Amino acid sequence: MSSGGDFSFDDTDLAIVDLLRRNGRATNQQIAEDLGLTATTVSARIRRMEDANQLRVVAVSDFAAHGFDVLIQIKIEVDNRPVSEVATELAAFSEVFAAHVVTGSYDIDLLVTLKELGDLHDFMFERLAKVHGIRTITPSIAVDILKYRFDKSIIQAG
Amino acid sequence: MAKADLDDLDRKLIELLAQDARVSNRKIATRLGVTEGTVRGRIKRLQQERLIRFTAITGMEMGPRVRMALIWIQTDVNQVQKVGNRLRDDPEISAVLVLAGRFNLLAICLFRELDELVDLAADRILALPGVRHVETAIAVRTAKYNARIARIVDGGTPIDD
Repeated sequence: MSSGGDFSFDDTDLAIVDLLRRNGRATNQQIAEDLGLTATTVSARIRRMEDANQLRVVAVSDFAAHGFDVLIQIKIEVDNRPVSEVATELAAFSEVFAAHVVTGSYDIDLLVTLKELGDLHDFMFERLAKVHGIRTITPSIAVDILKYRFDKSIIQAG
Repeated sequence: MAKADLDDLDRKLIELLAQDARVSNRKIATRLGVTEGTVRGRIKRLQQERLIRFTAITGMEMGPRVRMALIWIQTDVNQVQKVGNRLRDDPEISAVLVLAGRFNLLAICLFRELDELVDLAADRILALPGVRHVETAIAVRTAKYNARIARIVDGGTPIDD
């Protein structure tokens, strides 16, 4: 998504966004009543933010809705091949939900979703291990997820 | 995790709403060839079973200077839950996973300035009772990510129409 450059949110925009974060399907009328605005204003504000690529109101679906029961975070160390090239190849696997090139003690971070734990063996040894350039694979199985919300937490500057 | 029992209509509904959650029930009904009541009922069920959640993603989270950091944490074994709960309650942390592996916990956050990350990881998290060791990895390039699929932990969306 392209950035809006000098786009800025005023207090009314932020109040609307805050309500949408709690319920993205609140009607313009409901939002207007909550904030003491007119439905027309709410609708225009939402459209302005959407048109500037600064707002998307979406349904987020659970991993389980897609049949995934197992979540595994995998650290990968790369050797003898450009890291981005390996990451691109890994990103093509349907089991790979997220792939990031990282700086730190390893090179690529993968979040992998599987239907069941029994699929891990094949995924690691039949698929990952065959990718050229992978030196080590360190999986950690997520046994519980206490929080998972990327739509509103950012460390605030200042 | 519970197995979800979804049919084709549920899946089509999720796909439509993932693009734009503000489409009216009437429009969805017309698109999918069902009644408005069916659409309303299906959405309600998906919300109740925590299979979907409606939210807003803004440019503040999508901005060009926003980076993701993975904070790997080793705790005393009997402190995993306690430390995990402290991290969960921190509004600046986006995700907290309890792991079976060399690290017990993984906290993921978004940040703009490196200083903010140092404050969080090196000062605040490492100082928590029970935390033994912290390792940070910063995502410098994203090869794949889909913000529209997640783990729905809390019922953030009120379920009524």
